[in-house]
Amino acid sequence: MAEELVLDTAIRDWVLIPLSVVMVLIGVLRYFVSKLMRSPPSASPSPDPKAVKEGQLVIRARNLRTSSQFIPAKAFKARKLYYTDGERGLLHVPKEDAQKAQAAMFSDPNMAMDMMKKNLSMIVPQTLTFAWVNFFFSGFVAAKIPFPLTQRFRGMLQNGIDLSTVDVSYVSSRSWYFLNLFGLRGLFSLILGEENATDDATKMMQMGGGMGFNPAMSLGAEKDSLDIIQHDWALPKMEHHAEEVLRKLLKK
Amino acid sequence: MAATGDDVPIIQAENLTSNVRSILYSRTFLSITGGVVAGIWGFTGLTGFIFYFLIMMVASLGLLAKSKFSVHSYFDSWSRILVEGVFGGLMSFVLFWTFAYDIVHIF
Repeated sequence: MAEELVLDTAIRDWVLIPLSVVMVLIGVLRYFVSKLMRSPPSASPSPDPKAVKEGQLVIRARNLRTSSQFIPAKAFKARKLYYTDGERGLLHVPKEDAQKAQAAMFSDPNMAMDMMKKNLSMIVPQTLTFAWVNFFFSGFVAAKIPFPLTQRFRGMLQNGIDLSTVDVSYVSSRSWYFLNLFGLRGLFSLILGEENATDDATKMMQMGGGMGFNPAMSLGAEKDSLDIIQHDWALPKMEHHAEEVLRKLLKK
Repeated sequence: MAATGDDVPIIQAENLTSNVRSILYSRTFLSITGGVVAGIWGFTGLTGFIFYFLIMMVASLGLLAKSKFSVHSYFDSWSRILVEGVFGGLMSFVLFWTFAYDIVHIF
């Protein structure tokens, strides 16, 4: 087991480096393609006034929550009541309304189309590269990771090589592809800027979850978080703080 | 911000996220370059990981110096400077470490 495998330099030149370069380039390409395919916001039909209203409501409630410490307790209580009071509060959503909203969202073809596009731009290049790697590079030992691992990782790192005598730290080309897939995310965030579309994991999570924006759910969540917030008026302490700062400035 | 006993943290969310983002950027960048350096120097096994965490500690120190040793005027807690992005960068580090190590030493 301990004996070293000798890897041909041709493998480096024709498998390891091309594979990594292609992965990077495909990531960049995917970013720009998804940017192109994203339908421009102005093109979409005028938004449903009810949805806009609910969205604004959520934003207002959130503003109240984040800056609650800047208003006196009485004012905060009044505002909170305005939003969360039982049946009359603005954030209250009747049961049948919630179901209706969900049904409407599922039947909206525009939304489904958008999601299809997003999904496609994510899945198609991945399957294509995977097929490409499988076709050209199956069965290579392409790399060796510089740290020892236990036998358990064999399935993960030597995907495509069915030899039990090879040391686990040798990586097959198919597994190198997977390593690239996960490890290059950091590089993408550096070269593509902040709003990179390659953050697949989070996107997948959002998609699997609430099917995009669900007004009833976000209203309910906002109501709950507004309910549990502890009000603490910061302004009385602020005077002390201001005094301190000013004194410090005077001293200088 | 002066530390008055029960000070209320008053922090603008946008500024905080932008600060955190710059931390993430610097950490990602460091983990990638650190990976390449570790690979070229031929670190193996535990040494490489120790190297990574050393780099991250140096990065924390650098960030601390950059924030002029007053963490709370830039971030809401110490953990932001110390641990934010350390484990996210590990994957990139391992990838680039392996890549450079293979190119230089294995073949």
